[in-house]
Amino acid sequence: MFKTPRFFLVRILMKCVFFAVSIFLCSWKKDNTPHCKFKFESFKSLGKIPEPSDIVYDKDSKHFFIVSDHGILFECDLSGKIIRRASEEGMDFEGVEVTDSFVYVSDEKPRKVYKFRKNDLSLVRTYNMTWGGASNKAFESITYNVTKKCFILVSQAPVVIIEYNDDFKEIDRHSFDGARDMSGSRWYNGDMYLLSNLDETIFKCDPITYAIKEYYKIDVLNPEGIAFDADGNVSVTSDDLRRIYFFKKIPTIKQ
Amino acid sequence: MKKLLVFTLLAGAISYTSFGQSTFSEFTDNPSSFTLSSDKNTLQIGGRISFYGEDRFLKSGYNNLDHNGFVIKDIDLDLLGKTASKFSYELHYSLIDIIAAANTENIYVPNNPGYDNSGIKAAYIQYDGFKIKIKVGIDKIPFSQSNLQHEHETPFWSHPTLTGGTLFSRRDIGLTLSTRLLKDKINLYAGMYSGMGENFIEYGQDQSGKFEYAGRAEFCYPSKMGYNEIDEENSPIVHFRVAGNVRYEDKIGPEGTGLNGMYQDAVGTYNTRLFDGYRTIYGGDAIIKYRGISATFEDDIMNMRPQSQSDPLFNGTPYSVNKGKVTAGGWIADLNYNWQKIRTVFSAGYEYTNVNDLIPGHMEYLTLAIAYKVNSFNSCAKLEYYIPTQEDLGSDPLKWTGQIRLGYQIVF
Repeated sequence: MFKTPRFFLVRILMKCVFFAVSIFLCSWKKDNTPHCKFKFESFKSLGKIPEPSDIVYDKDSKHFFIVSDHGILFECDLSGKIIRRASEEGMDFEGVEVTDSFVYVSDEKPRKVYKFRKNDLSLVRTYNMTWGGASNKAFESITYNVTKKCFILVSQAPVVIIEYNDDFKEIDRHSFDGARDMSGSRWYNGDMYLLSNLDETIFKCDPITYAIKEYYKIDVLNPEGIAFDADGNVSVTSDDLRRIYFFKKIPTIKQ
Repeated sequence: MKKLLVFTLLAGAISYTSFGQSTFSEFTDNPSSFTLSSDKNTLQIGGRISFYGEDRFLKSGYNNLDHNGFVIKDIDLDLLGKTASKFSYELHYSLIDIIAAANTENIYVPNNPGYDNSGIKAAYIQYDGFKIKIKVGIDKIPFSQSNLQHEHETPFWSHPTLTGGTLFSRRDIGLTLSTRLLKDKINLYAGMYSGMGENFIEYGQDQSGKFEYAGRAEFCYPSKMGYNEIDEENSPIVHFRVAGNVRYEDKIGPEGTGLNGMYQDAVGTYNTRLFDGYRTIYGGDAIIKYRGISATFEDDIMNMRPQSQSDPLFNGTPYSVNKGKVTAGGWIADLNYNWQKIRTVFSAGYEYTNVNDLIPGHMEYLTLAIAYKVNSFNSCAKLEYYIPTQEDLGSDPLKWTGQIRLGYQIVF
C-alpha cells in the first residue's frame, strides 16, 4: 500500500505525543521533604515605599531596613512607617543586610553592592559584581552567612547561591534547583532561609550545603524579602501589594 | 507639532504620581537571557527559537498538503538596554520574517500568511526619568489584551484571528506615553502612530499624513499585573484586571485621496489591515487569576467608513444597504490551568469573529492546547488542536476541518 507523507507525519506526531506523555508521567515525583503551610497573622501597607523588595531587622535600633526597586534605602519602624532614607540612590535595590555598623544593599540591574554606614546612611563603598544572566533576574537578595562567615548573594533565576568574602571577592557558588526562582534570603539562628517568589515558599536550608531541610508554603502574592525579629517572628514584604506581612515563628514540623 | 504638544501636556496632566515599568517587551522578565553591564549601563541579549510540525485534516477533494509539514515559528533576537541616564531601548527582530520578506519581495510571511510583517517587532527608545514614560519608535500599539500578551508564554502557537494582526495592525511606529497611578493599580496609555502598522517599514507614512490615535486604561486589583495569560505564580489571592481601549484614524488625504489601493499587498486577507477612510476600533478585556486557574475575555468592535462606495469592504452592496458603514469584530475567551506540580499548562480558547457584517457568515474556532514546561516557557513543548466549529463561507472558506501543531520552543 502506498504511504503518503502525511501518513509518516502522523506517525511522527503520535510518537511525539507518546514521548510527551512519558515525560509527563516521569515528572510526577513524590515529595519527601517535610513541609507545611505557614499562615500570616496580619499585614501593614507600605504605601509610601514604591515596589518594596527586601527587608532586614536591625537588632540595635529595633527597626527594619527596607529597599525599593526604585533604588532607595529606607529605615522604618516595626509597623513599616518611614523614619529616614538614604540620600544616595541606585537603580534597582533588591537585597539588604545589616551588620554591626553597616547596611549592605544589592543593586540588581547594574550588579553592584553598596555599603552604607548605619548611623547616618552615608555611602561608604561600592563593590562591582558580575552576573551574566538576565538583567532583571540577578541578585535579589543579600545576607551574611554567620555559619560560614561569608556574604551570600542569590540570583533570582536560574537560582545560584554565590558566597563572597568581606571584600566581596567570590569564594564559591552553589546551584539550587529546589525552586523556580529566589527573591529573598536570610541567615537566622544557624539556618539559611530562602524565599521563592514564584513558588511562594520559604525554604529552611543547611547553611553549609544549602540543601533543603524543610519548607513552608505562604499565601503571599509576590513575596520578595524575609526578616526575623529579635524573637524570631517572621516578616515578609510583598512587592506588588506594597505590604509587609507579619508571621509568628517558623513552625515546627512533626516528623 | 501643535497636536503633539497638546497631546503630551494632556497626558502629563493626568499623571502626578507614578514611576514604574510599562513596557510590552517580551523579554523584560526572561530569566534565560544574558546581560552585559558597564557601570550603570546594561544590555540584555535574548531571543526565541521555535519550530512545530503541522498537520491539517483536509476536506475530501483537496490534496494540497502545503500545511502538512514543518513550520519555523520564531527565529527572533532581542537587545534590551538601559542607560545610566534613565533611557531604555529595545531592538526585537524576527530573522525569519526579514529573510522571507527579502526573498519573496515582501509577500510571504511563513507563520502568518496574509499578514505583511516587517520583521521588526520592536525598535524604540524610552525615557523612564519622568512620572510619565515617553516611548518613541516601533512597538505594540496599546490596544487589546490578547495583542499585548506574550503568545509564547501560553500553550497556543498563535493569536486568534481577531487579534493576530490580520484584521488590524498590532505594531506601529509612533509616540506612546504611559503612567501608573494608585499604587500601580491603574495603568494608562495614550499614543499616536503612523496608522500604517507593520507596513510602515515598506511604505513609510501614507499621503494623508494623518496619525492613528490609541488609548488604553487598565484597572488591576489588588496589584499590578503583567501581560502573562497563565497564572504561573499560582496566585494565592484573586488577582484581576479589567481594561478598555480605543483606536481612531482618518486616512482621507488631501483632495479626498486616501490609501486608494496603493498598498494592495498590505490590506490583508480581509481588506482591513490598511484602511481607506475613517475607522474607530474599541474594545474591552479582562483577566482573572487564582491558584493556577486563569480566564480571559475580550471583545473588539471595528467601525469603518470607507471613503469610496467602490471599496471592496462594501461587498458590492448599495448605499441604501450599507449606509456607508462596515462593521467587523468579535470576542475571544480562554480558560487555562497551570498544574505546576507536573509542569503542565492546559488551555482551551474560543473565538467568534465576523470580519465583515456585509458579507454573510462568521467564524468560530475552538482551540485546545497543552504545554509541558521542561524549564518554564523558556524550554517547552506545546501541542495545539485547532478546530473550526463554524466556517465563514463568505469571507474565509476553509479547505480543512482541523489542525494539529506540535513543537518546541527555546527562549533565551
